[in-house]
Amino acid sequence: MKRGTYQTNARVAASKGVAFSKSPVLAVRLPDWRSRLVLVVLFSAFAALGIRALWLQGVSNQFLQKQGKSRYERTLELPATRGKIMDRNGQVLASSLPVKAVWAIPDDVLASPPAKITELARLLEMPEVELRKKLDSDRTFVYLKRQVEMDVIAQIEKLKIDGIDTRKEYKRFYPQGEVMTHLVGFTSVEDVGQESIELAQQKALVGAVGSRRVIKDRLGHIVEDVGQSREPHDGRDITLSVDSKLQYIAFTSVKNAVEKFHAKAGAAVVLDVHTGEVLALANWPTYDPNDRSKLTGEQLRNRVITDTFEPGSTLKPFTVALALDTRRVTPSTLFDTGNGRIQIGDKIVRDTHPHGVIDVSTIIQKSSNIGVSKMALAMPAEEMWNMFTKVGFGQAPRYGFPGAVAGRVRPYKSWRPIEQANMSFGQGISVSLLQLAHSYLIFARDGDIIPLSFQKVTQKPVGQQVISAKTAAQMRAMLETVVLPGGTAVQAQVPGYRVGGKTGTAQKLVNGRYSQTHYVGNFAGMAPMSNPRFVIAVMIDDPTGAIHTGGGVAAPTFAALAANALRAENVPPDSSITDIIIPENSLEESN
Amino acid sequence: MTGKLNVILTALLVASALSLVNARYQARHLFIELDRYQQQARQLDIDWSQLQLDQSTLGKNERIEQIARKDLDMTPLTPARTQYLTEGEK
Repeated sequence: MKRGTYQTNARVAASKGVAFSKSPVLAVRLPDWRSRLVLVVLFSAFAALGIRALWLQGVSNQFLQKQGKSRYERTLELPATRGKIMDRNGQVLASSLPVKAVWAIPDDVLASPPAKITELARLLEMPEVELRKKLDSDRTFVYLKRQVEMDVIAQIEKLKIDGIDTRKEYKRFYPQGEVMTHLVGFTSVEDVGQESIELAQQKALVGAVGSRRVIKDRLGHIVEDVGQSREPHDGRDITLSVDSKLQYIAFTSVKNAVEKFHAKAGAAVVLDVHTGEVLALANWPTYDPNDRSKLTGEQLRNRVITDTFEPGSTLKPFTVALALDTRRVTPSTLFDTGNGRIQIGDKIVRDTHPHGVIDVSTIIQKSSNIGVSKMALAMPAEEMWNMFTKVGFGQAPRYGFPGAVAGRVRPYKSWRPIEQANMSFGQGISVSLLQLAHSYLIFARDGDIIPLSFQKVTQKPVGQQVISAKTAAQMRAMLETVVLPGGTAVQAQVPGYRVGGKTGTAQKLVNGRYSQTHYVGNFAGMAPMSNPRFVIAVMIDDPTGAIHTGGGVAAPTFAALAANALRAENVPPDSSITDIIIPENSLEESN
Repeated sequence: MTGKLNVILTALLVASALSLVNARYQARHLFIELDRYQQQARQLDIDWSQLQLDQSTLGKNERIEQIARKDLDMTPLTPARTQYLTEGEK
């Protein structure tokens, strides 16, 4: 009890002073608005949260939905394969296969053990120094190598290097390589056509990339398609008119000729007489489209289509055909070619040999410049110009082939007599080899010309009559005499078959003047003569050996090409002469 | 009465919900399968292209000629050594 008393006393002592309820500080009465303000502020904060929530949920919800979707939805790109290019028999000339590009995050890769990097360099077939140089970069994304084939990728993935990743892409393969490349062309690493058909048909070949939107689960499986998907459309396959076998024959013939005659270049083209299809188009020098690291412009040049040259005597048949067709002459009309020299204006036209008085047929056979000049000068310039234009010279070509040139035929109004004479034997006028071959269709066919095609033709083409069928038959007979003994191109003979054609030798223009040492030898002809199937044109550029004439270099090339082509296509022989002994030195032609 | 109806409706609801779950599950499975087959189809397409390419590479005229000339010792035929027969002639 005593203790309790003490406690009571202590409590009284503690509360001594001012009583709680009477504290003057607390006695101050706060204004009412302050508590209300707090209330309002608190409520408006809640209201703001509520409105914000409503806003996000109801009104402006796209952003969050998009963010949400991006966490489980993925857009997959559906690649479209580039179309294949095939020859007329369905053999693949160009095809795309999936490969992968190897890329890296440099910092991550450099952190991995050096042995692995050495191994990676070996797999990528590049020196380690080069690989390290590529990795020594500030960027976070570096392509190490593109278009790596799948089996190599599998090995790289086995190495499990951090920061190495791959990206799917396509690589174009050209199984026929250098043989076919001037026709097919090639694509860049981005799958864009760069040359020839690959470039011309880029739109059709490329196709359309598709896409689909999907939901992926935790393991990366596709669970569901959402939204719209766009189907990918693969590029269209293109069937060319070219025949792989004929192409190979043409290619080897040209290649052998260039080597044999020490020429700078050579080219040949084979056309189908009935359809106007380009069956072969060969060039030498050439390149391998699968490995273009050492590509030069010289190799890239498509001499059949993009180069023009002055064809020389190969153009004589057109002047003669015109004269025949307009009934100014007949094959037996006589012309006096005199002693092999004739003055026209202030210039002199020469024949290599004096031929005296000869008929029209012999003018073609012996390739007399004087004879054909006399024939040309008896005709108005306009008619000759019309003839050249109708067979396609100087006309913008419509083959759908990039880089095709028109050649040059000057307007007839400015022709002087000497120029008209020159043009009659193929000087002062330039054509491409393809144009030359195309124009010879009028002789191989019954006087009409049909359009050329690089793609397989299914419909019979409609021809445009240039000369009468009778004239064409007369011309064929004359062209056949050219390869017979006494003609300028005996080396063009083919055992077992009747062939015909015309040689041409043009002096090259060097610094604007006709060179006396650089020539282009060419030959345009057809086979077999009884029912022409092919028109073949051959051009040998700058042969530096002892022989340089069209009859000497281009005619034997034509013969080799035609013999193999006729055999390959199972054309029945139309001649009983199967053994031909060709004299080493055939008659030299003029021009 | 209402109690009974509620029980029935609840049971129906649960059954419907379960069937939805099942249908969804089946759909996903089928979808994954479809996807797998589509991928297989694409792979087969690629294999086909590869084989076509191999055929073209192996059937290259250059290669055939090499083999014919070197390995098989063959020479090109000439009309001089060829006997031509005409169909239908006696």
